[in-house]
Amino acid sequence: MKVYTRKIMTVMCLFAVVGILVPSGAWAVKEVKIGVIYPLTGGAAAAGRELRAGAELAAEIANNVMPDLPMAMAKNAGIKSLGGAKIKLIFKDHEGNPTLGADLAKKLILDDKVDGILGCYHSSVTKTVSAVCEQYGVPMINGSSTSPGLTQRGFKWFWRTTPHDKWFTKDLFELLKGLMEGKVRGVAKVPEKDLMNLASACENTEWGSHVSELIKDLAIVNYKEYGFKMKKSLLYAANSADLSSEVRSLKAARPDVMLFASYTSDAILLVKTLKAQRAQPKIIWGQDAGFEKPEFRETLGDSIQGILTRTVFLPKVVEIKKVAGQVNALYKAKTGNDLGGASARAFTGLQTWVYILEKAGSTKPAAIQAAANSIHISGKELVVPWAGIKFSTSGDELGQNVLGSGLIGQYQKEKDGSIGLEIVYPFDVASANMIYPFPKW
Amino acid sequence: METLKSAFDFSDFPRLDISIAGIIAIFLLVFPLFSHSAFAMATMIQFLMFSVYGMGWNTIGGYGGQVDLGKAQYVGIGAYTTAVLLIRWNIPFWFSMPLGVCLAMAWSFIIGYPLFRLKGHYFAIATIATSLVLMDLFSVWEFVGAARGLEISPIKYHYPDFWRLIFKKDIYYYYVILGFFFVGILYVNGFRRSRLGFQLRSIRDNEEMASSLGINVHWAKIKTYAIATAFVSVVGSFHACYIKNIEPQDTMGLDLSILIALMAMLGGAGSLWGPIIGAAVLIPLKSYLKAWLGGAAGLAGIDLVIYAVIIMLISALEPRGIWGIVEKVRRRRWQ
Amino acid sequence: MDILIGSLVAGVLIGMILALVALGLTIIFGVMDIVNFAHGEFLMIGMYTGLLTAQATGIDPLLTLPVAAMVGFLLGVICYYGFIKYLVRGPMVAQLLGTFGLMLFLRNLALLIFGSEDQALHRGILIGKSFDLGMGVIVPATKLAAALLSVIAFLAIWLLMNRTKTGKALTATALNARGARYMGIPTDRMNALAWGIGGASVTMAGALLVNFWSVNPFVGILFTMIAFAIVALGGFGSVPGAFFAGLVVGMIMEIPGIWDFLTYALNWDWMANVPMTSLKYTFVYLAYFIIMVLRPRGLFGWKR
Repeated sequence: MKVYTRKIMTVMCLFAVVGILVPSGAWAVKEVKIGVIYPLTGGAAAAGRELRAGAELAAEIANNVMPDLPMAMAKNAGIKSLGGAKIKLIFKDHEGNPTLGADLAKKLILDDKVDGILGCYHSSVTKTVSAVCEQYGVPMINGSSTSPGLTQRGFKWFWRTTPHDKWFTKDLFELLKGLMEGKVRGVAKVPEKDLMNLASACENTEWGSHVSELIKDLAIVNYKEYGFKMKKSLLYAANSADLSSEVRSLKAARPDVMLFASYTSDAILLVKTLKAQRAQPKIIWGQDAGFEKPEFRETLGDSIQGILTRTVFLPKVVEIKKVAGQVNALYKAKTGNDLGGASARAFTGLQTWVYILEKAGSTKPAAIQAAANSIHISGKELVVPWAGIKFSTSGDELGQNVLGSGLIGQYQKEKDGSIGLEIVYPFDVASANMIYPFPKW
Repeated sequence: METLKSAFDFSDFPRLDISIAGIIAIFLLVFPLFSHSAFAMATMIQFLMFSVYGMGWNTIGGYGGQVDLGKAQYVGIGAYTTAVLLIRWNIPFWFSMPLGVCLAMAWSFIIGYPLFRLKGHYFAIATIATSLVLMDLFSVWEFVGAARGLEISPIKYHYPDFWRLIFKKDIYYYYVILGFFFVGILYVNGFRRSRLGFQLRSIRDNEEMASSLGINVHWAKIKTYAIATAFVSVVGSFHACYIKNIEPQDTMGLDLSILIALMAMLGGAGSLWGPIIGAAVLIPLKSYLKAWLGGAAGLAGIDLVIYAVIIMLISALEPRGIWGIVEKVRRRRWQ
Repeated sequence: MDILIGSLVAGVLIGMILALVALGLTIIFGVMDIVNFAHGEFLMIGMYTGLLTAQATGIDPLLTLPVAAMVGFLLGVICYYGFIKYLVRGPMVAQLLGTFGLMLFLRNLALLIFGSEDQALHRGILIGKSFDLGMGVIVPATKLAAALLSVIAFLAIWLLMNRTKTGKALTATALNARGARYMGIPTDRMNALAWGIGGASVTMAGALLVNFWSVNPFVGILFTMIAFAIVALGGFGSVPGAFFAGLVVGMIMEIPGIWDFLTYALNWDWMANVPMTSLKYTFVYLAYFIIMVLRPRGLFGWKR
């Protein structure tokens, strides 16, 4: 009988563990809880660390008084309209897995009782998490997912601060147009036939396949009069061990311009393979993500000179914007790195949360919703070079920030011999002459 | 009628087993009434889903001895059928689910026919291959959203919508899957004492002998494979409505296939309770270890290391899984 | 035309390398009749060994091969005596379950130790160099070296199996373990040796691969699948079979390149829109399935 008793005990214990009640904890009075879902482990862990540091820095600034920082949220400790309530961030790790992301969102909303959500980097995860938030009527701000589809779903609890890929891809075509019209700093007018043939390779995911479609659309429809030809647009499996057949296929199309949408490891592998295969297009352009990560620059070194990447933030912005310089100094003291596109956008995402809460003066979802829909943050407050933050409340894009803008940077050798990003687009803020055509490997 | 009676007939189990099973069944029924965290609820739903997956796997893998490592392809077929029909034509779950089962079974016949010419390892690996081929095809097929997958938008439906299985609260999903769980147990209970069930076990024990007894070995395997498929496809359809977002990699990846097979094998292949025990051990272990050790402590992977050690120990020491240990102990007591 | 030649050359090279990956699996299967699902994880360990040794000591990654081989041999032997030996007493279900457990264990241990980020080598004699063979065919030096080493490894194993006493004992164990035991062959030790050789050859392949592919804890399963395909095509247990099957699989993986060639040669627009590159591994799995069903012994099988 003893054995049975033991068996019953085991089974019961098991279910006791399953059914155990997780107490929601004592309610701290002056605290606003924001759930932050980022890829802290998994393939994008490096980006996750940057994102986390960016969001944490913004929370520090919001919770403390930093008088010499020209930002409204640095002037008082905590949220003034909520009686100085502090921002508390609860980080969760989605590993780049959409289903896990949705589970975590539920957990944050129901168990941790957060007042709002920030996240999630991968567009695919943002998609599932925002769906959960929509269902539960919990506001979510997204600072760094750029798949255009996210704000076209008619969601009422989802706001996105970053511009999306359609704008960025348009920027690219504006740059190509500028080259043809001789508007680019340091480059003479380029004959149209030299830039006509395009080829793209994007990862086969939510984000990459959207980018691929966009490039095709813009080239063939919106910029038709320039005679662009889409020679090849292929999708590859993300996190591939080997991309040599993809690169050969691209090369065989003999494009003038190669366009990529890849996360870090694929971006590095792509450039290495392009080099090994001696592919020689005139322009190589990356759609942010992997192409602007510190690892990309560190591992590939000099060989990335001349590669273009779209971004929303690069260190040169510091020279134009004073506040960006100050925040960058704080960030560098905290992490040892400069702000990048990921960290700057995470910072801005949380900053937007703070301003919305300040305006709402309450943590009630409806109040936050009303505040978000009517907020207007001036561009002077932001580290990113945007005109400001103001969300669209009608039309087919709900909750998209309409005042954002993108940059195109080019890797060039700095005076001190290191490789850094220079602004080449928009043309009026260009920080250096553009290298054209792409140098021999 | 006879089959129905046999489904409810648990008399060949020791009384103790039945009473434990009864207690657990009552616990499962009333669990949501206690105060619980959303996390515990999600874990319980996962446990029930994997139990049903495991029961399906157990028919062909346990009673039939054919180790199938490609079950995820049928999860995918079920999930995609439900999602596509709901999104494109607004067809509710309770119609699309049976259709998904039909499609999955049709596919299982198509590939099952050649597959069962293979045996042992060869069969196991070939099932992985077919599952991967189907996943790759889904991830380039534009009609089903390719790699982007499909999303069942939460704002298009008024919940709770029982017909379309769109709920806000997990408790509804819990009771739906619990229903499938009980039906699954009853079915397998009937199945194990059905003609096909006996045929299958004799095939597992000695294929040549079974064949010489006049059993159509090939056909019996294919039929059982289709039954296993039906189980998995139903949960796949449920998965689509529960998660509301399906993608090839996530819904029909190799990891899922492996997990399904592992749980059933760990719990004890070829016994009624095995897959349920396997899921009851591994699912909470996985979720809670991950929550405690993974994200928070930065020890990504430790949950699966522990998990793997358990699997290795069980496989080396007691090949018949946890249920095998239970039976061994019981036999020793009686001797 | 140059696209076609480029693809074919690349296919042959990659085929030889993949054959080396599959060699260990075929030895183990041939001798012991057990499918090792952790094979890809052995490869992953080889890749990390090569990477870390090169990074830590600063020696050229090519010189890490002996280290990797040693690690692999030990790993194989330890796995055999510590685990597989107990596993083979059970039924097939338990064997599958067990090597799966081993796979999960090694993969997640690597995840725990090395983290999930991709790592790659960036310095080395051969890295970044390539030969232009004319006709637009460019061969990376690393892949060429890896292919050459693969041929050498195959020759060595083939000689070992056919020209030495140990090899004969291994073959005898493979053909009839009980008979071999009666003849005084220490079959237990032979099995361990098979695991050692199998492990060494695959970790060596890993140390070569890391010269041009990046490594993360999850790379294993892809290679396990490809290795299975090769071993099945070549006939389980056949060493020369594995080599030729490797070449076949290499060619199958170049189907997208051949498709490109046809697209340009025939100039049909619809062909350009078929997502061939996304399907490159699909063809391998499909070929595996078809060959298994039509000819379960594989193309060059010798064992029952």
